[in-house]
Amino acid sequence: MQYQFDWSVLWRGQSRDWLLQGLLTTLEISALAWLLALALGVLSGALRTVPLRPLRALAIFYVEFFRNVPLLVWMFFWYFGVPPLLPRPVQEWLFNHGAEFWAGMLALGVYHGARFSEVIRAGIQSIPKTQFEAAASTGLTVAQAYRLIIIPIALRLIVPPLTNESLNLLKNSSIALTISVAELTFQTRQIETYTAKAIEALTAGTLIYLILCLGIAAAMARVERRFAIPGLIARPTRAEH
Amino acid sequence: MKRSLSALLALAVMLASVAPAAAETTLEKIARTGTLTIGTRTGSPPFAYVNKQNEWVGFSIDLVDQLVLSAVSTKVGKPVKLEKKESTPATRIPLLSSGAVDLIAGTMTDTRPRRDSADFSLTFFVTGAQFMVKKGSPIRGIQDIAGKRVGAQQGSTNARIIRERVPSAQLREFPDQPSAFQALAQGQVDTYTNDGIQLAGLRTKAPNPGEWDIVGDFYSYEPYGMAMRKGDSDFRAAVNNGLMEGIDSGKFFEIYEKWFGPRGELPYPMTPDIKKFMIYQSVPK
Repeated sequence: MQYQFDWSVLWRGQSRDWLLQGLLTTLEISALAWLLALALGVLSGALRTVPLRPLRALAIFYVEFFRNVPLLVWMFFWYFGVPPLLPRPVQEWLFNHGAEFWAGMLALGVYHGARFSEVIRAGIQSIPKTQFEAAASTGLTVAQAYRLIIIPIALRLIVPPLTNESLNLLKNSSIALTISVAELTFQTRQIETYTAKAIEALTAGTLIYLILCLGIAAAMARVERRFAIPGLIARPTRAEH
Repeated sequence: MKRSLSALLALAVMLASVAPAAAETTLEKIARTGTLTIGTRTGSPPFAYVNKQNEWVGFSIDLVDQLVLSAVSTKVGKPVKLEKKESTPATRIPLLSSGAVDLIAGTMTDTRPRRDSADFSLTFFVTGAQFMVKKGSPIRGIQDIAGKRVGAQQGSTNARIIRERVPSAQLREFPDQPSAFQALAQGQVDTYTNDGIQLAGLRTKAPNPGEWDIVGDFYSYEPYGMAMRKGDSDFRAAVNNGLMEGIDSGKFFEIYEKWFGPRGELPYPMTPDIKKFMIYQSVPK
């Protein structure tokens, strides 16, 4: 017996709407979580390099607490753990206004923020102190030294692992389906259960994630090239058309 | 070398998943291996689950073991043993089409879209969707759920019907029973809908069964069937013959009684209508 492929289930009837809606939700939740993660990562990454002990301790606590618990647990924590602590009217309001989306977004953002933080700390700490002293000795102000010297050098080291983490964040958004966020994986499974066309639905999901991730990687590669030390990162010798 | 090996492996996997034993029918496969492999559940009591003695048992498994297996043995002309593999809603069709299992015997509703991908046996259990609510809830059925937050199992036929019939209901779909029930218990959703039999099972296992009501008439029809690879009518005839023999001899109703009778795992008496329907499914000899 041979499996009968029927690719049209992907754009027939409800499936197309589901795929589009799932794609949109995945992009929304990932983009918001990414911004949150970046903000938390920059803040705590920077705090870990300052000389004040309590601030460092705070940042270390955040990083160790959040990166060492599975993301799935955080999803449940924000969705099932936090609401009962809130007053009843607030709960009601949240449940009527997409509590699952916000819980998923917070879980993703806070979890990946802790991971971003380490990447950013590694980037900043890899710059020798002498680099800053050299910048100051040429007459640059602190702000100028950071903007023109330190950050560009740090970014070279931060961007590649940050790309990795960003891709992970996007892929991990699929875990939000466990708290009923209707994102891309949720919707491909929906198509699979309604049409029993597993291979088609899984292929569609795979391809969409692949395209999204390759898109992000390409965008990050542009950022990387922008800050590249001339000659150190191979550039394409001619424009590819 | 490594590269060509992995390419070969990938090709093998693809072929295995797309065109398994293209020349062999299921009955031929069973005759060759002497084994009928079923895909079933480990956590869907009383249909198929692992009990306290760590045995893999249930109504669906008994039906195969006591009714279908002998019919298949007769057909292939030698004794056949039963092998069980775990299959979930997400994996059951791939397992079937890859040839890893020959028959899905769990809690799968027979639907027309699914019949495009698989063949179904006779209906062996009939239920329909209802609602589970906290005692004292104003929700008494599908007529009361407009604007309410309704939890459902992801990808269930119930969810689709709610979406079609009451678009204003706020549907929240959960991948598994425990998280959906948790959401109901905490108030994230106002009610949880699923097949009546599943809700009955859920309530029995709940910490305080008395806190929960199962309400509403069946708003959907959920006939459970056993699924098999499409276009293999000889095998399907053997499976159906086994079930029909069981209905004719009364063995089927004994097995039902064992699991759903008053002293069964989950009391869920068969209504006279459904008993009649089961009997009518058996065609004359």
